[in-house]
Amino acid sequence: MYRQARVLGVLLLLQVVVIVGIGVWLFASIDWDMVADVSNKPGQVRLHTSDKSVVKELVRAILFTVYFLGPLVLSLLAGLGFVLLRRRGWMLASVAQALIMLACLFYYGASRPWFAYPIIAYSILMILLLNSRSVRAVVHRRPLTPAEARSEITHGE
Amino acid sequence: MANEAGLDARNAEALLRRFEPVIRFTKGEWFYPMDCEPYVGACSLWVRRPNEDAVCVVPSGELTLERLAQQPEDTTGAVHYLKIPNPEDDEKGRARRRAKRSHKDPDWPKATFRAGSGRLARVGYISRLADALFSLVLLARGRVPGGDVEGARVLYGRFMEKRERFRYHGRVIRQDGWIVCQYWLFYAFNDWRSNFFGANDHEADWEKIFVYLSESEDGEVRPEWVAYAAHEETGDDLRRRWDDPELEKSDGHPVAYVCAGSHATRYSRGEYLTELAFPLPRALAALRRVALRFWYTTLRQYAGENSAEMPYEKFTIPFVDYGRGDGWAVGPGQDREWDPPRLMVDPTPSWVTGYRGLWGLYTRDPFEGEDAPAGPMYDRDKTISREWYDPVGWAGLDKVPTRAEELDVITRRRAQIEERRDLLRSELREKSARLKALGMDAEATRDQSHLSKLHEAETRNIEVLAGEVEAMRAELSENEVLSESLRDHAESLKNGERPPARAHIVHPAGPVSEEETHAGKVAQLWASISIAAVLLALVYIFAYQRQHLISVLVFAIAMFAFIEAGFRRRLTRFIVSLNVALAIVGALVLLKYFYWQIIVLAVLGIGFYILWENLRELRQ
Repeated sequence: MYRQARVLGVLLLLQVVVIVGIGVWLFASIDWDMVADVSNKPGQVRLHTSDKSVVKELVRAILFTVYFLGPLVLSLLAGLGFVLLRRRGWMLASVAQALIMLACLFYYGASRPWFAYPIIAYSILMILLLNSRSVRAVVHRRPLTPAEARSEITHGE
Repeated sequence: MANEAGLDARNAEALLRRFEPVIRFTKGEWFYPMDCEPYVGACSLWVRRPNEDAVCVVPSGELTLERLAQQPEDTTGAVHYLKIPNPEDDEKGRARRRAKRSHKDPDWPKATFRAGSGRLARVGYISRLADALFSLVLLARGRVPGGDVEGARVLYGRFMEKRERFRYHGRVIRQDGWIVCQYWLFYAFNDWRSNFFGANDHEADWEKIFVYLSESEDGEVRPEWVAYAAHEETGDDLRRRWDDPELEKSDGHPVAYVCAGSHATRYSRGEYLTELAFPLPRALAALRRVALRFWYTTLRQYAGENSAEMPYEKFTIPFVDYGRGDGWAVGPGQDREWDPPRLMVDPTPSWVTGYRGLWGLYTRDPFEGEDAPAGPMYDRDKTISREWYDPVGWAGLDKVPTRAEELDVITRRRAQIEERRDLLRSELREKSARLKALGMDAEATRDQSHLSKLHEAETRNIEVLAGEVEAMRAELSENEVLSESLRDHAESLKNGERPPARAHIVHPAGPVSEEETHAGKVAQLWASISIAAVLLALVYIFAYQRQHLISVLVFAIAMFAFIEAGFRRRLTRFIVSLNVALAIVGALVLLKYFYWQIIVLAVLGIGFYILWENLRELRQ
């Protein structure tokens, strides 16, 4: 019965991994040799570069982090919820997909980076899956009565 | 109208009094069931012919029920109507004084009615917008002038000051084995819109409650069903069985809850959301059907537990019917008793049969909501009303035998089936024999060139006859099962078992839940101001945010939708809708940039799917 929820959890975690991977790649592709730390107080970071393309890449990477950090945390919690607790996390996952889609559409409107398209495609699939009958039937099922729960334990899933 | 016959006046009155209803009103009601005679006596009679001004044919004070039946100057297209007199100044003053006094009088309505939770808090933006438009349209439509409410109040107040009287108009007829006690309730005015935030006002109001009795062989009658009228509803949903727990009874009398102003009659106390529904244009409806089929069937998306009640399924304007039952109660054993009824039997009085006009102001409202109703016997278009000529069919009882008849009906039906089965068996024997003979003919003529035409004809005949035989066997088999079911049903009836009392009710009109009735004050406030806020926001965005029109517009819409969803506890639905909208936009973006790639991928996907299916079949 909970197979669908587990599959959904795994797909959400995979989405997290992919987006984190893109973020890491964005940061890794910055030529850090061109960036100097000019901060003079402990606990403070002030970067300086004279290369405009590096500034652009840096801004892009930071914006990516700002936009996707929140939804990724939600997705991670939702994914773990589905994998470990089986029925928890539907609302978190839905909100996360909405935020991810909004971020991608914002990106599409602004700079149209290549990574927006695969994330959009993946999010569309996740939205359809989250709202599919089989998944909703599992996650929005009424709580089992003690007798039903016992029967379910006896018969397995 | 089979078996239709009225009862003589004495028996009719006895029956009517025996089962007359107890009616519980809502605190704040102004008008109660009254005798129609003094009302007619006070009204003037008017006639409006097509493309002409209305003409007064009988002035106020000169009309009687007998004179009403004469309906003078009737021509094609003419509409006769009564008109409540304008209150004279001193009477107006009297009414005002009485209204003022009423603030200290807990019985007087205006001081005690509280609307409670706003109706608009119970529906969405589109319905609220439609409601605002409805109010605006009302200015252009024909409607009952505000002064008429006061006129009716003065008139009714005058009757009640003379003597408090509560009266119904009774009729008893036999139809199809049933004895139908009809209680026709006449109210001087329907002030639903003026005083209770409802859909309409109109002068005069005829409502009805029917009690259906069966008669045993020894002449004993017993109540089996009741039907209460509410707005334009008809059919099975209207009636309740006498033993239905929803039907309240007081010492053997059915209890009805009359809604404030509209006088719609309900079985349970509470507040009812009555919706005026408007169908979508045909093209839009077809488009919506296709989209929903794709979404729910093809993509297997979740439809929710109450998918049939989804708000976007219907375009409606909400109104609340207040049937609280906390006001006066009229009926046997109550604070206020019925006067002896005005009978409409033996023979039917001429004012019922002869007057086909309206019982109050004719406003020429194209939706007819503000026009007064016609009398008990007629509809507004002067045709005879169904509740008059077919009260049994009106409540969907024409397919239900009385309890006294049930076993007879089953016995007769089983005999019919048996007869039909005998006939079918004999026909089957004959046709089977013919079919076999034709089969032999076809065998014998096969592959013989000189008999090929005959063979073809025989083959066609065989096909036709085989079809007939198959249909007859199917009917025979169904009849056997049906006969057994009827036998079992007869047994259970003999044992005193009854079928479920509410099985016939498809769309029961129930009061809204306590939770909905008591929406939070902030939610109510939001519901009241939301449409104005949306309009102001739109004006602001179009005037001052043109540079970022789309994004600000989308943001504003999302915010309004989010607030609304929060108030109405529909955040899940909101998130789903938002995701769907975003998915559609995302899909369009992908389609724009990867049109050919998506087509190629789709074709490849289909190809691989077919390959996979075929390979799986091979392996099996």
